[in-house]
Amino acid sequence: MQYSQKVLDHFMKPHNIGKLEDPDAAATEGSPACGDQISIFLKIHPETHIIEDIKFQSYGCASNIATGSIITDMAMGKTIEEAKDITWKGAAEELDGLPAVKMHCSVLAVDTLKKAIKKYEIEHGLAEEEAFTKDTIIEELKKVIYPGVGEDIITLKMVKYVGFENGVAIVDVEIPKFDTHRDNVAEEIKEHLEVFKEIKEVKITL
Amino acid sequence: MEKIYFDNCLTSKPAPEVIETITEFMKNKYYFPANFIATGTEAANNLAKAKKIVADSIGANSKEIHFTSGGTAANNLAIKGYLTANSNKGTHIICSVIDYPDLLTNAAFFEESGFDVTYLQADNDGFIDLEQLKESIREDTVLFMTTMVNHTVGTIQPLKEIREILDSSKHKIAMHIDACEAYARVPVNVDELGIDLMSISAHKIHGPQGIGALYQRKGIVLGQVQHGINRMDNLQTGGLNTASIAGFAKAIELAFSNLDENISQIRKLSTYLLNKIESTISDTLLNGPRGNKRASHNINISFDYIEGEAIMMMMEMNGVSISTGSACASQGLKPNYVLMALGRSHEQSHSSMKFTLSRYNTFQEIDYTVEKLAEVVKELRSRSPLCN
Repeated sequence: MQYSQKVLDHFMKPHNIGKLEDPDAAATEGSPACGDQISIFLKIHPETHIIEDIKFQSYGCASNIATGSIITDMAMGKTIEEAKDITWKGAAEELDGLPAVKMHCSVLAVDTLKKAIKKYEIEHGLAEEEAFTKDTIIEELKKVIYPGVGEDIITLKMVKYVGFENGVAIVDVEIPKFDTHRDNVAEEIKEHLEVFKEIKEVKITL
Repeated sequence: MEKIYFDNCLTSKPAPEVIETITEFMKNKYYFPANFIATGTEAANNLAKAKKIVADSIGANSKEIHFTSGGTAANNLAIKGYLTANSNKGTHIICSVIDYPDLLTNAAFFEESGFDVTYLQADNDGFIDLEQLKESIREDTVLFMTTMVNHTVGTIQPLKEIREILDSSKHKIAMHIDACEAYARVPVNVDELGIDLMSISAHKIHGPQGIGALYQRKGIVLGQVQHGINRMDNLQTGGLNTASIAGFAKAIELAFSNLDENISQIRKLSTYLLNKIESTISDTLLNGPRGNKRASHNINISFDYIEGEAIMMMMEMNGVSISTGSACASQGLKPNYVLMALGRSHEQSHSSMKFTLSRYNTFQEIDYTVEKLAEVVKELRSRSPLCN
């Protein structure tokens, strides 16, 4: 497993690193306990909604820093609508690929960008808070990457059942007992779902 | 610039004399032991000589030594061999939560097969809980096993005290020691420590990869784990890695010719490294004990606010090899289990860096390394949301 030269270049000399004073929108995702956290700051033109400046800070590994760097490059100068089309797969491709076990870094970076944009849209009346449903859980599970192949657990059809009742999120995942990524997948699911205030408990069956 | 290598417990650079020995064996002495013919007799003599070198280094007898394909093979032979041959005496095993994966995975395997396993806890410095050990011993306890020098933080377990506790039981409890990390780094005498079974490895002491040895105390019975053609005895079936065995013996000769001096020199280097890091870089935390209860070659230290894989990668770019306990650098994306068991936080585990030194390291290398490390830590902290 090796990083591409482009990942190493962005890691060693990241673009748009730092903090924006008085940003129009900002978001922080991940956590130090999980080993990666990223903060994104945006300056957005009030009329054109073009991202005029973007910066990021990173606590994380080489691919966390590189994905932060590449997505800020990709978003800079775009309208927020265009920036919302940036995907974690697209970001990984821009870096000439990421090792499968590192794909979650791209998901985290893109998710943070989208969260910052969403906050901006809600604050400026461009969008409304979405109602929380079972589909919200499914959408969130699309951000949980199975590190063995670098694809999300919904696309891989590893999730056999999703339920939501009385604040309890139920997720049944099919993953062999001997799989070395089993615990990691369960932790990732919890980490993703526990941030929703509507979810009081996450029950995972492996 | 030549690469600076501080990852000697992952594997170490073969000594030039070891390479010469292996080359000579592969070119001219590749024969298997056999009777009556000169080549076979010479091979048998060389093998006997190598066994004696291993045995002498740990205060054992040559007959108590088996060569294996490495430390893991020796651990498997010891644990599986002992438990299969002695399960009629009991099915309770004791080990610790911070042991090397060879021991923990074997314990889990036997647990699945119906054995009971007690996993002893460790304190903040990595010493296993001896009070818990006393309380854990049962009538059916047959095997205690542990890692003599912890592979993550270098803590030296008090084996003499452990043996005394085991001996206070009314029945025999065998003690298996994984000494791969300890061998040639701390003095090991199997009689003084009361060790029954012990694994050692060549590639961590400047010998070749793929060769190790098992010490089996006389009278300790092992079941046959691997079946096949019997060239030496029923525990060493199959072909013999004669060149590597000779290389292993040469590595032992080199390490033990002035062991005390080697250990003392490595202690000076590691103390210098630790002092230099602590006086140059702020917000660090040493993992494991300070002083002589820690093996001389190991320094494990956490750097607040940043993540270990990024440090490792940047140091690699600067020509320095070190390892990390970060989840990002691990296969299962989990924080280092030893550091977590020692009460470290996830963040402290993710930011931990392990330096394992050898006699080939120099003070100049350490000066360069700490200079670069300070730059790397400063750069990564400037990017981190945790300190900005």
